Amino acid sequence: MTRLIWTFCLALVTVVTARDFAVAQSFAQVIADNQPKMVKIHGAGGVRGLEAYQSGFLISDQGHVLTVWSYVLDTDYVTVTLDDGRKFEGKLAGADPRLELAVLKIDATDLPSFDVAASVPAEAGSRVLAFSNLFGVAAGDEPASVQHGIVAVKTRLDARRGAFETPYHGPVYVLDAMTNNPGAAGGALLNQHGELLAMLGKELRSAHNNIWLNYAIPVDEMRDSVTRILAGNFRPGEDKPPAKPDEAIDLAELGLVLVPDVLERTPPYVDRVRAGSAAEIAGIKPDDLLVFVGESLVQSCKSLREELARLERDAGLKIVLMRGQELIEVEIPGAKGGEPQTP
Amino acid sequence: MIGNMKTTIVLAAALVLHVCVFVAQANAADSLQAREEQAIKAAVARVAPSVVRIETVGGLERIGQLMVGAAPTTGLVVSGDGYIISSAFNFVQKPDSILVTLDGGSRRPAKLVATDHSRMLVLLKVDTDASLSVPEVVPEKEMRVGGWALAVGRTFESSQANVSVGIVSALSRIWGKAIQTDAKISPNNYGGPLVDISGRVLGVLVPMSPQGGAELAGVEWYDSGIGFAVPLESVMRSLPAMQQGRDLRAGLLGITMQGADVYGTDAVIAAARASGPAYKMGFRAGDKIIEAGGKPITRQSELKHQLGPRYANEKIRIVALRGDQRLDREVELVDKIEPYEAPFLGILPLRGESLEKSPPVVRYVYPESPAAAVDLKPGDEIRSLDGAAVDKLDTIVEKMQSLEPGQKVRLEVRRGSETLLVEPTLGRLPEALPGVLPPAHGPVEAPPEGERPQTGVVTVKIPEFENECLAYVPDNYNPRLAYGVVVWLHAPGGFKQEELIERWKPLCDENDLILVAPKSGDRARWQPTEARFVRRVLDDILKNYHVDASRVVVHGHEGGGAMAYVVGFTNRDVVRAVAAVDAPLPRVAQLPETDPVERLAFYTTLATKIDATPAIEAGIKRLREMKFPVSAHDVGDQPRYLTTEELQQLVRWFDSLDRI
Repeated sequence: MTRLIWTFCLALVTVVTARDFAVAQSFAQVIADNQPKMVKIHGAGGVRGLEAYQSGFLISDQGHVLTVWSYVLDTDYVTVTLDDGRKFEGKLAGADPRLELAVLKIDATDLPSFDVAASVPAEAGSRVLAFSNLFGVAAGDEPASVQHGIVAVKTRLDARRGAFETPYHGPVYVLDAMTNNPGAAGGALLNQHGELLAMLGKELRSAHNNIWLNYAIPVDEMRDSVTRILAGNFRPGEDKPPAKPDEAIDLAELGLVLVPDVLERTPPYVDRVRAGSAAEIAGIKPDDLLVFVGESLVQSCKSLREELARLERDAGLKIVLMRGQELIEVEIPGAKGGEPQTP
Repeated sequence: MIGNMKTTIVLAAALVLHVCVFVAQANAADSLQAREEQAIKAAVARVAPSVVRIETVGGLERIGQLMVGAAPTTGLVVSGDGYIISSAFNFVQKPDSILVTLDGGSRRPAKLVATDHSRMLVLLKVDTDASLSVPEVVPEKEMRVGGWALAVGRTFESSQANVSVGIVSALSRIWGKAIQTDAKISPNNYGGPLVDISGRVLGVLVPMSPQGGAELAGVEWYDSGIGFAVPLESVMRSLPAMQQGRDLRAGLLGITMQGADVYGTDAVIAAARASGPAYKMGFRAGDKIIEAGGKPITRQSELKHQLGPRYANEKIRIVALRGDQRLDREVELVDKIEPYEAPFLGILPLRGESLEKSPPVVRYVYPESPAAAVDLKPGDEIRSLDGAAVDKLDTIVEKMQSLEPGQKVRLEVRRGSETLLVEPTLGRLPEALPGVLPPAHGPVEAPPEGERPQTGVVTVKIPEFENECLAYVPDNYNPRLAYGVVVWLHAPGGFKQEELIERWKPLCDENDLILVAPKSGDRARWQPTEARFVRRVLDDILKNYHVDASRVVVHGHEGGGAMAYVVGFTNRDVVRAVAAVDAPLPRVAQLPETDPVERLAFYTTLATKIDATPAIEAGIKRLREMKFPVSAHDVGDQPRYLTTEELQQLVRWFDSLDRI
């Protein structure tokens, strides 16, 4: 028994000390250790401002390379250049269009690589290093470019629906560094201990404020797809995007008439509430301004209609409205509880 | 045995604890990076309760190319009872409703209480029962360039702040109004705080531009490493006034300075507006300001630094020299000065080398002008104005810069052997195009011996630009005369050299004009950036020829006309008139203010049956509201370029731009 406790303690000491060594590593050491895992990828493109290159990194000692799925790979011959300058043909092992990731296989072994099975969290303020061949600056056996910064915030790319021109709407690290440039997509994001956090995404602007985004997709989000691709049993399209509800909620059915939608962004003010309707029972009154449907801010009559169209009729509806300078929450029960009535 | 085991456990626990402590210390000592990361997170966590998310309903969707109002923005709590400061940029769409999400997730409707137009901030108020968390302020005297600066927003997630890390790059930027940082400042954190490494607030993040401007100025620098924050200490000073619902505006003195180089020239008043506070306190054109707000002033930029942070209704002590006399006055700054309108006496002066250094002689008296009302005649020599001797043309031009329409002046005029005293009341610049004018000069002496600049058709080449440029200088060019300059900006499609020269040669030869015709890089259109090329060409002409500064005109047709406005507005120090044919005032152009020294006059054509007519008319209206003189010429039903007669009339207008 006593021996057991001592063993436990010793094990703990060993773990903690190993961790301590990792912390003590300088950026320079972390960079030197990880550069050999980075690759440069050349393929299709080179016309009309489309660069014919991108970045990637090794995820197995058997020559598997993780990168983004893009037009660059859409060719018969993709060249993967290792950190030491050796060039290989990259064969597509598999791709997940939803995550816009691809795994390439090169014919080489005993390569240094990242472990996508390890899960390392990061949060706003965490220091990071981004490795990529942005703007194609690194040629031949030159190492990838390294940028440093912090995680600005962890958020969802679909935090504001329809905001981004990408099929992926899951969690991302938004970065406080100018990482997402031509050729950088597929690069690796590491923490200060050299642990793999995420893969750099493509160049995107927020469709809301048109600001360029620097972001990376966490390994946690990609692990399933990558593992299945490596195991050779990945079938794309397994996760279907949510379809439109069969029976959407409709304003007239609720008994709500909004003000005429005449402006670019007409605020959704209630013009009339039909007597005896679900809206009236819930306590909605003329001149109320509808501001939230569920958790979504509705900024105009148009966005209110779009939001309602996404909701299932039976589910019921939570609305936050503004009456004068007061916020009021009302609930409209599902269709079963509030059958439309004909006056 | 049991006791022994207990001891073992205690010992083991102590060892584990000891090791943990040791490791923690080792971490701290060994890894500066890790400690910095901890400090950054702690600083953000400290300020986060004061950082709120702002969402708006209604309003405009986009302003120019910029999308506004759709994405959440950020605000900072400045008092526990619910006052929140934010960037004016976040409200440029003029929303119908404002919603604030406080730390912790509770939502409140907010009212816009007041706007600070000088520092581009707005104050919001939400009702709250609980006292909100107010951040600690870093006093301005404690701020150091090079210190950590963390920009905090709450735009991506309502439950989490977003962070950008940088340093304080400079203090007292934008004429003393802002801290500069290299953290990434953008709509993702405008309105949020810039904090130091202990989470105390340095300032409130705003887009700003050294050139000034409205809510959107400086947005083009987002995420560039050049960002600005208004010191929170100064915000707290103006908070009581804003809480009363008072909008704040920059304080104005109502003066214009001599010379364009703010860093290189003394602060000499070129014009003091009669309606402005400096004039009312006795300051006049020619006074040299040597002290402001207790600080010595040797350059215009230093005066701008003193005025920049000050609001209207604030007082500033100004000391100026007028010869040996020292004026020491306290001036109360104002928020608004009516647009300056240039006065008009109603004469054209004769030109010529000898007349540049002697009292001005009347060439022409405008009918029904103030000069005509007091019966001035061609040939009269103006000797003094309001008691001050007029020894040369420039003197009266400068004197007129500090006068305005409606003011009565005393003129001493020499007519033959007689001396007359007249008291005309100054009027407004005429907008009608002049009829036939008498010659501008008598016989001119032969040009001096020596090297003459190129004349005839000349090619102008500017090394860093690929654009081509043609010029025509009259063959009889004589440096004893000052020449007017017409910059011709072609319509889409460019121009044929022979046709252009054929059209302009007689006009240039007769009216002492130099024609300059730059070409756009893409023949089909002018790029606004090519205004820099046009400027370089103008500089080249100004350097090589004797040019009359009052008669530099930019003239363009269609796209070239729009470009003429751009060139005119961005080169106020050189350009005196814009003549646009078939071209509305570009919508993007932020209208400049009239200026007593850097004058601008406009000529535009109007056709009745053309879609662009309402836009052209709107442009004329805007310019007239700003008190610019605009001559509008009706070309009938269909838009077209000018006929020979109309072009002659336009050239007469060019010839009359040295009107007094």
